[in-house]
Amino acid sequence: MAAMLKCVMSGSQVKVFGKAVQALSRISDELWLDPSKKGLALRCVNSSRSAYGCVLFSPVFFQHYQWSALVKMNENELDPTLNLKCKLGMKSILPIFRCLNSLERNIEKCKIFTRSDKCKVVIQFFYRHGIKRTHNICFQESQPLQVIFDKNVCTNTLMIQPRLLADAIVLFTSSQEEVTLAVTPLNFCLKSSNEESMDLSNAVYSEMFVGSDEFDFFQIGMDTEITFCFKELKGILTFSEATHAPISIYFDFPGKPLALSIDDMLVEANFILATLAEEPSRASSPQSLCLSQKRKRSDLIEKKAGKNVTGQALECISRKAAPRRLYPKKTLINISALENCGSPAMKRADGDVSEVSESSVSNTEEVPGSLCLRKIESHFVTQAQVQWCDLCSLQHLSPGSKQFSCFSLPCSWDCRCVPLCLANFWYFVETGFRHVGQAGLELLTSSDLPTSASQSAAITDLSHRAQPGVFLHIVKFYFLTSNC
Amino acid sequence: MKFRAKITDKGCLELFIHVSGTVARLAKVCVLRVCPDSLCFGPGGSGGLREARLWCEVRQGTFQQFRMEGVAEDLNEIHLELTAEHLSRAARSAAGASSLKLQLTHKRRPCLTVAVELASSLGRARSVVHDLPVRVLPRRVWRDCLPPSLRASDVSIYLPRWRTLRSIVERMANVGDHVLVEANLSGRMTLSMETEVVSIQSYFKNLGNPPKSAVGVPQNRDLESMVQVRVDNRRLLQFLEGQQIHPTTALCNIWDNTLLQLVLVQEDVSLQYFIPAL
Repeated sequence: MAAMLKCVMSGSQVKVFGKAVQALSRISDELWLDPSKKGLALRCVNSSRSAYGCVLFSPVFFQHYQWSALVKMNENELDPTLNLKCKLGMKSILPIFRCLNSLERNIEKCKIFTRSDKCKVVIQFFYRHGIKRTHNICFQESQPLQVIFDKNVCTNTLMIQPRLLADAIVLFTSSQEEVTLAVTPLNFCLKSSNEESMDLSNAVYSEMFVGSDEFDFFQIGMDTEITFCFKELKGILTFSEATHAPISIYFDFPGKPLALSIDDMLVEANFILATLAEEPSRASSPQSLCLSQKRKRSDLIEKKAGKNVTGQALECISRKAAPRRLYPKKTLINISALENCGSPAMKRADGDVSEVSESSVSNTEEVPGSLCLRKIESHFVTQAQVQWCDLCSLQHLSPGSKQFSCFSLPCSWDCRCVPLCLANFWYFVETGFRHVGQAGLELLTSSDLPTSASQSAAITDLSHRAQPGVFLHIVKFYFLTSNC
Repeated sequence: MKFRAKITDKGCLELFIHVSGTVARLAKVCVLRVCPDSLCFGPGGSGGLREARLWCEVRQGTFQQFRMEGVAEDLNEIHLELTAEHLSRAARSAAGASSLKLQLTHKRRPCLTVAVELASSLGRARSVVHDLPVRVLPRRVWRDCLPPSLRASDVSIYLPRWRTLRSIVERMANVGDHVLVEANLSGRMTLSMETEVVSIQSYFKNLGNPPKSAVGVPQNRDLESMVQVRVDNRRLLQFLEGQQIHPTTALCNIWDNTLLQLVLVQEDVSLQYFIPAL
């Protein structure tokens, strides 16, 4: 039985669904349709990996909701890798949900279902008087991404009405890429981010102070100033208008992502935005930041590819960590030995990976703001600590789960097979995205580590619409040393 | 050099927002001339009257607080160059605000700080601050920023109803580029346009003429003779559509085949738009 999805909505539900698609279209050009028992999730990530959006429609939102995953004969539990892996181009789906008001008025029912045999998603609108409109959209098979971010551990939480944020957004011209949010326990300030070179031409600096009593919920654990790109914010606001629910903002220190979430009973939307990290001397402007990180990112990929040398890896990582860090403080990366277990183009996942200890990786060790797409959560090993990964705990990382461990906090997991010593490795899986990451997001694909070669080979992805081709990079570095 | 002004009255605040909006529609870069008793907006850059230009004066009465100190004792003025759109945007954020404050400040570079206090009835306070980058103009270019001093106009006449005038000029603009504006001292005004295919004429009468107070006007002037000027229709339309105030007085002055001047006055604000003849 193939993985499939089938759901039915009424007119007003289509409006909310359409607004979600529109909001996500501001973030990215591609959308994943990810059904699970928690509901239908729409996910997207922007090309520079600085923004992630996920809108989860619970099963009760729909009039009828049915989904299933691919069931393998020898599996007792459902493996998330077997879920529907469906990626749609925004250009195909956005025009369908264009005139939402007229859709809401005129349609009686909307049915969405997938046809895995033809790799198509079919959206049918049933109008009055027996008129039916059908859209067939081809999808690409691609593993959805999820972000590893636990908003509940953030020290600062705000809940505001969308109106307030909309008023604030009006102040900033569209040419301003970034805004800074500065909070103290008593007040809230949104302002244009300070550019180092403010020349005469057209750089208005604006600030908006709002008293804490305008918020529904205002809890500030520590005074913070974070800077993020506000282009995506506008998309989030349009969606919040549709749901009439207040927006909750979760954030911490600079460098740690900011989460905006809208939660009413039936729909839950989470938008994670990367924030700029603090740095003593910021030489590059935000725009060039993306590019330089891209360069570093590709360097990193090259370095990892087939290179076996500790020193080199150390050097490349520490070099990248220096200019831009996600943490204000310095964290030393100690990778004592790094062994490349396979070629970057290796298409299989070793079955014995599960037995290997993994060290946790925080984003600092990678390219600052790099894209970390992982099949397994990995740990970053600091000088003295040893952390192992427990694959049992990986099972918790099911799609749609919010219980991701915050990537900034290294977790200690037990390992099934304890190696003799400090095992130091991290690896990432890039399912075909050639784009480079920007500050802040660590993403987890919705599956756990594939436990069989055939499965991982079945994960296909097209890196770019214009470049058809299937490739999968799995780069793994792990080692077992005999002495600490 | 100091400048500090504050508006707390709602009506004046709205007027200021409209004025800054009008200036932004009609000029990209404007020169703000701060005088002891008024704030004047003029077009940026020199160029005389070869192109259509806007001057706007906001007298001190609009502001509830107004304090300034010019560059020197004898030259008690400040000339600042800024992007009109910035000011308009900043002023727009003050819609419904309780107060708007303008102040000349120096934060890394000279700025005109626009500080808006929004206090709703529920006691919630919100404040917004904009720092607009400005350039302080040196005294040698001050002369270019003043409105032209001209001899008395040949004809001065009140304008017809704004909406009517605007819709007529709009329709004419669809047809051609030039419009001939004629008026006489008996309250008659004619707008005409002619192309190869069509000619359009609109006649207005009983418009009334403002009393002539300037000296040097020949008293035995023929009341019926029409004074005319041919202007670019698009400039005229731009003004008619771009201006946002609700004037109590609207009149135009015509210099025969030379210049058309449109004057709008509302309370303490006066707008003048000069369109040269083609």
